[in-house]
Amino acid sequence: MTSGTSTPSRRFNTDRWRATPGPFKVGAVILAAHALFAIIGAVWTPYGFAEMGAGLPLSGISWDHPMGLDQIGRDVFSRFMHGAHIVLLLSFAGTILGMVAGTALGLLSGYVGGWFDAVTQRVVEAMISIPFLALALVMIIAAGPALAGAPVLIVFVVGLVYAPRITRIARAAAMEIATREYVAVAELRGEGTWSIVFREILPNAANVLLVEFSLRLSYAPILIGALGFLGFGIRPPTPEWGLMISENRNLLIASPVTVFGPGLGLASLVIGFNLFTDGLSRMLGQRPVAGA
Amino acid sequence: MSIFRLLASRILLSALTLLLVSILIFLILEALPGDVATRILGREATAKALEVLRSQLHLDQPALVRYFQWLGDFLRGDLGTSIATGRPIADVLGPRIVNTLLLSFFAFILYLVLALVPAIIQAVNRGKAIDNVISVITLLLLSLPDFLLATMLLFLFAVAVPILPALATISENSTWPEMLRVMVLPAVTLAIMMAVYAIRVLRDSLIEVLRSDYVRLAELKGLRPRAVLFRHALPNAIVPALNVTALNLGFLIGGVVIVERVFSYPGFGTLLIDALQLRDIPLIKATVMISAAVYVAANLVADVLAVLLQPRLRTSR
Repeated sequence: MTSGTSTPSRRFNTDRWRATPGPFKVGAVILAAHALFAIIGAVWTPYGFAEMGAGLPLSGISWDHPMGLDQIGRDVFSRFMHGAHIVLLLSFAGTILGMVAGTALGLLSGYVGGWFDAVTQRVVEAMISIPFLALALVMIIAAGPALAGAPVLIVFVVGLVYAPRITRIARAAAMEIATREYVAVAELRGEGTWSIVFREILPNAANVLLVEFSLRLSYAPILIGALGFLGFGIRPPTPEWGLMISENRNLLIASPVTVFGPGLGLASLVIGFNLFTDGLSRMLGQRPVAGA
Repeated sequence: MSIFRLLASRILLSALTLLLVSILIFLILEALPGDVATRILGREATAKALEVLRSQLHLDQPALVRYFQWLGDFLRGDLGTSIATGRPIADVLGPRIVNTLLLSFFAFILYLVLALVPAIIQAVNRGKAIDNVISVITLLLLSLPDFLLATMLLFLFAVAVPILPALATISENSTWPEMLRVMVLPAVTLAIMMAVYAIRVLRDSLIEVLRSDYVRLAELKGLRPRAVLFRHALPNAIVPALNVTALNLGFLIGGVVIVERVFSYPGFGTLLIDALQLRDIPLIKATVMISAAVYVAANLVADVLAVLLQPRLRTSR
């Protein structure tokens, strides 16, 4: 929760928890489970995530290997566990980058207006016109072989794909807030543009931006997974879940759990984020916009 | 008169957007600092190979000259030559675009059914169990990555119950029934992915319209519920869903990349992936440019349709 909005400081108590919307609760529980799983997976896994010969390759599922083994004998469950924090960290980092860039640009453009706004909007429009997956893939190719598969590149790409979309939302919010009296008062006080944008407009746009952040965060694992699935994501042997699904796709007949285990992880994470967003937007009185 | 001015300004803005897209693509792919040829071939490339590639891409000329050369050729319909195959890009792209259009058309028809039917059922039975069940299913499907949904459908209908082909390979002499059978799984995947977004919007707007005065009036006049729903409520409720459909077309272009890849369908999407893997810059530029043009055109059509369908929008703005 952010501070600075009109709501009083939120202290956790059971009454408040009971009053929150159902989807928010279910989503929060799913996300907490994912976070816990990710923390455990980051420090301990039954086998090494890149350890070959953890068992007989393709020997199927057993108590020792709940998701089976892949073609080079790596324990898929250990890889799945280790991948959890990677998926979460990449999603958060990418979305935060997009939020910071998009919010700064959008608020400024919405408040300042004029030619700056006109130019920004045309560039934003152009970036949104390139299908996001194509834009992401092109940027990955443009980064060249030296950076290919590096986490930094993935974070940067997610941020850059998100930034123009977030800019739009932030701009709309800023234009609405800019007409309020307290902004006029601040202008009369002689405050500078930066001060007005970040001290007056940003706190009042917090609700809109929070829902937007949550919405973008929901989609980040899918985007990162899609890049991995297509072979343009994180470099192997790092067990990003989308990459794992594509690695083990030819085991679909022999051992479906090996493919759908990481798939279930990815889907449940996104369900958690989506429910959380849905509940959050209801609590903050916002309506989330569907669509990538 | 004003409607023509509106149209003209929208078309001009779209053209401007595409011009900016071309600049962006060029900047990203060719004007980043560093040597383009080295980035394509890697550091281990021999000096000779680099030399050949540089002359193929005309890298000896300044970036500005190359950009206008490319733009001019593109506008005249000359899409350039693919580096990997040495063939004119128009020849490579043509059949792939036709395949993807076929697939998209099929998917779009399915999408209309898959979006309208659940939304109407929900709106008519709002608040009842069936409404909630469909909402939950939509939310679950909304959370499913497209590549996972495609893989799941492939597993269900091509592996577990093998009634459909796993690989959507088609050739020039495939017959129509064969083509359709092959396209079922990819088309269903795309249609579901698009429908889940539209169902929510359509349901909400339908419920809103069903509460409105003119629907009440139509009901009070004694029109049959079916007539009220299909003649009065639905046409008005569709307008908000149009924007989602335009967004969906944007998604379709991206989704096609994933879905075609999963089912090995020889379309536009697999071509883009191939071009990216081979770092075939002229082919990448052409494919991305065309996909952006489709998106911009789809949005333009949706805007215009929204104006034509809802007279209120004609005067405002």
